[in-house]
Order: sequence, then C-alpha cells, then structure tokens
Amino acid sequence: MYNGMPNGKPRTPYHEFYADDFTPRDHYRLLWDHIKATGNNALEAKAHESQLALQAEGVTFTVYGESEEGIERIWPFDLIPRIITAQEWVKIESGLKQRVRALNLFLGDLYGEQRIIKDGLIPPELIYQGRDFRREIVGIVPQRGIYTHISGIDIIRDEKGEFLVLEDNLRTPSGVSYMIENRVIERRIMPEFFDKYKVRRVAHYPALLLEALRSLSPRGKENAEIVLLTPGVYNSAYFEHTFLAKEMGVELAEGRDMVVVNDIVYLKTTTGLQRVDVIYRRVDDDFLDPLVFRSDSSLGIAGVINSWRAGNVAIVNAPGSGIADDKAVYPYVPDIIRYYLGQEPILHNVPTYQMTNVQDREYVFDNMERMVIKAVSESGGYGMLMGPSSTPALRKEFMDLVQENPRNYIAQPVVYLSRHVCYMDGELEARHLDLRPFTIYGEDIQVVPGGLTRVALRKGSLVVNSSQGGGSKDTWVLAE
Amino acid sequence: MRYLIEHETVLEYPQAIREHHIELRLVPRSDGHQKVMSCSIETEPTAELASYNDYFGNRVDYFCVIPPHSRLVTRLKTEIETQKENPFDFESVPPAEEQEWLRQAVRRTPAMNDFVLHRSQATPSEIKLMELLKSTLPRRQPERPLLDSLLELLAWVPTVLEYRSGTTEVHGSLAAALQQGNGVCQDFAHLFITVARSWGVPARYVMGYLDPGICSTGEELATHAWAEALVPGAGWVGFDATHNLLANDHYVAVAVGRDSYDAAPQRGSFKGDSAGEQPTVKISVQEQ
Repeated sequence: MYNGMPNGKPRTPYHEFYADDFTPRDHYRLLWDHIKATGNNALEAKAHESQLALQAEGVTFTVYGESEEGIERIWPFDLIPRIITAQEWVKIESGLKQRVRALNLFLGDLYGEQRIIKDGLIPPELIYQGRDFRREIVGIVPQRGIYTHISGIDIIRDEKGEFLVLEDNLRTPSGVSYMIENRVIERRIMPEFFDKYKVRRVAHYPALLLEALRSLSPRGKENAEIVLLTPGVYNSAYFEHTFLAKEMGVELAEGRDMVVVNDIVYLKTTTGLQRVDVIYRRVDDDFLDPLVFRSDSSLGIAGVINSWRAGNVAIVNAPGSGIADDKAVYPYVPDIIRYYLGQEPILHNVPTYQMTNVQDREYVFDNMERMVIKAVSESGGYGMLMGPSSTPALRKEFMDLVQENPRNYIAQPVVYLSRHVCYMDGELEARHLDLRPFTIYGEDIQVVPGGLTRVALRKGSLVVNSSQGGGSKDTWVLAE
Repeated sequence: MRYLIEHETVLEYPQAIREHHIELRLVPRSDGHQKVMSCSIETEPTAELASYNDYFGNRVDYFCVIPPHSRLVTRLKTEIETQKENPFDFESVPPAEEQEWLRQAVRRTPAMNDFVLHRSQATPSEIKLMELLKSTLPRRQPERPLLDSLLELLAWVPTVLEYRSGTTEVHGSLAAALQQGNGVCQDFAHLFITVARSWGVPARYVMGYLDPGICSTGEELATHAWAEALVPGAGWVGFDATHNLLANDHYVAVAVGRDSYDAAPQRGSFKGDSAGEQPTVKISVQEQ
C-alpha cells in the first residue's frame, strides 16, 4: 500500500484476521468461533487477567521525552494472538537467514577488502560519511567473521499480504524479552488454544542465545564467562537486560564493574577479578570504549577494543555492525544479497527515496504529506516525520533538515501496515501492526519461530514503536 | 639525514587517578622516505606495552596503569633516517589528466575518500570556511599543474593566519584560530587541508618532528604539524604552511589522519578526577 505512488490513493490495508467483512481467514477460524461463542465478557475477564499477570511479573518499559529520567510503564499487551501459518513462516525464515548472511558478508568486506565499493556497487560516500562506519575496527576479524550475532529485522505486510523488510536492526535490537513474556501471559489466559493450534515455542530463545555466546569464547565453550553489559537502570530496555541475564544465568554488569588489564577483560567481584570471555553488550558503539570512541563515555570499558583486537574477548554484536543497518544503506540491501550470495532476495524492501538524489528529493518535497522521512542513524521512531499527520511547520522543518544534510535522511511512501483485530476497551477493533522476529547467528543462523508483533494502539496510527505509544501481541507460528 | 629524537610526556594529577589506559602514536612511520633505525618507549610507572597499526597505518603503542597514581611518564627515544631530498623530483602528469589520475587513485583505494570527504571542527565545510574568512577561497587553476595551485595555497595560508605559539589548544577548532587571526601549526595544516579538500584533492594531516634548524626563533620545540596532499605522479607531498615550505628530509612524519584528532600523539582514559591534569612535554631533536 504505497500511498505516495504517482496517482496512488490509499487502498485497503491487508487484514491479517479477516478474509473479508464476514469471514475470518482459515487459520483464525478456531479462535473466531471461540470468541463468538464465549462473548465479550469472557474476553474482558482475560484482558483483566493479563493486566494482573503483567503487573505481577513486573514487565515494564521506559518512555523518554516526557521527563528527564523517563517513565516506567507496564508493557501494553493485547490478548488476541497474531497467527502466522507454517507456509508464511517458511518465507520469513528463509528470507531473514538470507539477509543476515549477506549483511554479515557485507560487514566483513567493508572492514576488509572493500570489494563492493571497488566494484562500484556501493557509493563510497555512503560508507565514509556514515556515522556508524568504525575506522577503529578496520583490520579486526571477529570470530568466524560474524558481526551480527543477534538481529531484529522489522517486517511488515503490504496490501497484497506480501511480507517486506522495513528496517534492519543489527546493533542492540530489543524486544525479545517481551516476545517471551507475551507468550507466558498468553499461555496463562488462553491455555485451551495451545493444544488445538500447534504453536511453535519461543521460550528457548535465551538457551539459543547462551549457546551462541558460549561458542564465541576465546577460551572455549567450557570456560565461557559471559557478561551482559548494560548502560544501567535508566536505559529504556533495562527490563530486558535484567530478564536476559537472569534467564541465561550470566552476570549483569555496567562498564564501571569491569576493567581491562593488559588486554584481558575482568569483572570486579567481591572475591577479586574474574576473567570475562564474552560481552553481550547493550551499549552503543559510541559509548563502548572511551579510549577509542567517545572519550566522555562513562558507560563503557576503557581498553575493550584492544582486548577484542588481541582476540581475548568476544563482543556481541561486533562493534561497527551499525553501518549495515544504516537507513541509507538499506536501499542497497537487495543488491548486497545478489552481490555476495548470487541469489534473488526472498524478502523485498519497501520502496525508498534517497535524499542525496536530487530528483528523489524534489519528488519527496512535492509529496511530503504522503511520505515518511527518517533520519538514517535514529531508531525507535525518533527523528521521523509521518507525512499524513504532520503540520506544515513540521514539514518545513524537515525540509530544512534534509537540505542541510541529505545523507542523513531517507524517505519512503507511507506504507499502510496490515491490520489485525485487537481487544480495545470492550470492543474488537482493527489496528495496524508489524513483526520483529529475532535471528541468532551462532554456529549457524536460526530464526526463533515467532517474534514481537507490535501494534499501533491509536486508531488509524501507523507508528508501532513502544516508545511512541505502541502495544504488542503474542505471535503464533504454526507448526503445520 | 639522521636524527635522534627524544620525547617525554609527564602527566600530573592533584588527586590520584586509576585504571589509566594510554594510546601513543609516537613511533615515526617507516616508508619510502624515512626509516626507523632504533626505537624504545619507557613508562613510569613501568607497564607492559603492546602495539598495533591503526586504520591510517600509524603504529599505536598502548599500555595501562591500574593502581592509583598521580604521575605518569612516557619517554620515547628513536633514531631515524630520512631520505627525501628533493620534493620536486617526480614525473609529472599533464594538467589535463590530473583530475582523472586523482579519481583513479581514490577509486583504487576507497579509504582515500576520507581525505576528500571528511569534515570536522578542525576541517570544516567550504561554506563554513568562507563564512569564517568573510571571503572566497583560493581557486585551483585547472589549466596549470595542481602542484602550482597547491604552492599558491601554501603561500596563501600565512596571509590569513599569523603564527603565535600557544594560542590554541590541541584539538581546538579552526574557527577559533581564524576568528583570532592567529594560530599554531595545527591550524595552518587544517586550513591548508580544508581548502585542498574543497578542490576535491585528497589531503591529510601529519604530526611529526621538524629539524630545529628550520624552526623560526621563538617557537618552542614541540611536535610539528603539516599537511600532505595527493599530487598526480608524485603521491603524497608534504606542505608545511607554517613555514611556507615543502616537507623534505628535515621532516620526520609520525602519524597521519583526517585531522589532528586522528593523529594525536597521546590519548588516555582513566577513572578519577580529571580536574587539574598537568601535562608537561619535553622534546629534543638532534641531528646525528
């Protein structure tokens, strides 16, 4: 659904649940029959139960922008599950594996020989003016050449029901804890369906991640001391950091809890220094090592990059991964897949306009009400203009920003994300949603069958980010 | 020429600091123009040194001092032989082919893009620079050899900046120097680089040492800074805008980068109070 296409006008978004106004899609029929039979009161009771469970479990997230330190909120959960058929999943899974494999080869090339630039496929300005191209790590080859051990690639569905990649999140993607918690809650409130539908499990994600982390230990799997490095309690994903550390049984630490001595990373414990082999960091590159990146960072570990270079510690995801999910690189990903794998992309991109291209830019400026403009290095819905709901003043502001630094922005026609029924204050209503599955690249690439389905809770809204008032659903991938 | 170079840096702190990590870019480059004959680095307190070559090909020596300390000394002693005698001695390329030569050089080595595209506080955009200067920039004469235009640029820099030792901080912005109308060698180098890049010519920053015989009177002996521009047929040629000279065998190059930040001789990170950090640098360059 590309509202921004010439002569285009909004068509009906794809409905995940209903095939038409009166009938559900086949894989939703069981659920639909049940809802009809038990009525709204039963749903209300389940909604109430889910609220209590989320509170009891302490499932929260933090919103910034309203106050300095952020506000902690209960995770918004909608009880009607989103169901993905086995057939649909095959496509998503194979598409993600292909994309992650290609993007890792791309990173290895960028920080190595740079064949793709020499062959003229990627304009060098794109890389050399990218904020996240890290010259400090050129020449370092991470274990098995893997940079993005964890990817959270966002997928949407267009009006024809085709799955498209909206953005690649390869730095410190978050949301996996909510995927798992949503399942815990759903199992509690809708246990009857888990037998009737063959829903594939997601609860083993922490075990898969732990296995991948252990496999990276320079001292071998048996001696893998793993630390989850968090920026601290004020980070919006702190809940997830504590959740994953607990589930995997690894230490949760801040930069100040660690020290590098002669290229070895140690955790400071009450019984002395304890060697660290693998750092699962949820701290951005900029703040990771004040010796080589931002010197004013107090969140990182001084000397950790040199330790990594020396091969004494693994860092997950590898520093420098961010250049591959730079939104200005995104339009090139289909070519990147063809270049490194010699295959056609299984999952397609959303059409994207590059602001460095004068023609594209003028077209976007003429059609701003129908565009989404995104800052290339931002995530979480920050630094973004949603054309349809924007004011003339805001459009002017973005036009100036784009002109000042075109490399820093891309534009996409507004995509009318697919919709699904949600239980909103006693009624079933349609809301837009997307999907973030999680991919782990350890000894091989695995996509956990499921993901975080994010819902735009406001009627008509297309913004699903939890920081911008989004909610979530449990995501059921069917075994058959 | 053969030089013995000694470079001592003493950092003193009013209150003890700890977990101190240091990176040094002090060992001169070894390339076609100069060769390191011997080199040693000592530290106080003593520390275990390790090294690697950074992205720009600079040798980095690094170490850490973990226990509390209020004084840290690093001492470099190196003997170096320089060979380049005449910077004008190269096969030139006809002016009409120079731009293509540069284009090919950048295409072959994508990393060269940095030396054309990089903009920072020290090497601002063309528009910003014109605002600061309140005038247009020197123009490249496309019908004449690029080297001629670069030499004119070299002579132009001292007409807008006056040399005054100690007037700008290390890593200071070019804007500050231009507003005052005076600066140190770093600012001269940055200004040269900024204009050369606006012409689309790859230009980089060099930190190193200069034969004390060249230094004008009143200059304290310190590390020196100059620029290098990629000249068709010649490769990198050093331009010392502070002295309006081309770099020759009286110049010892240590570290290069996009600007002074990349080529800083010493970088550190520690835990503790940074207020009152007192650096003292002593350098001697002796001809052998």
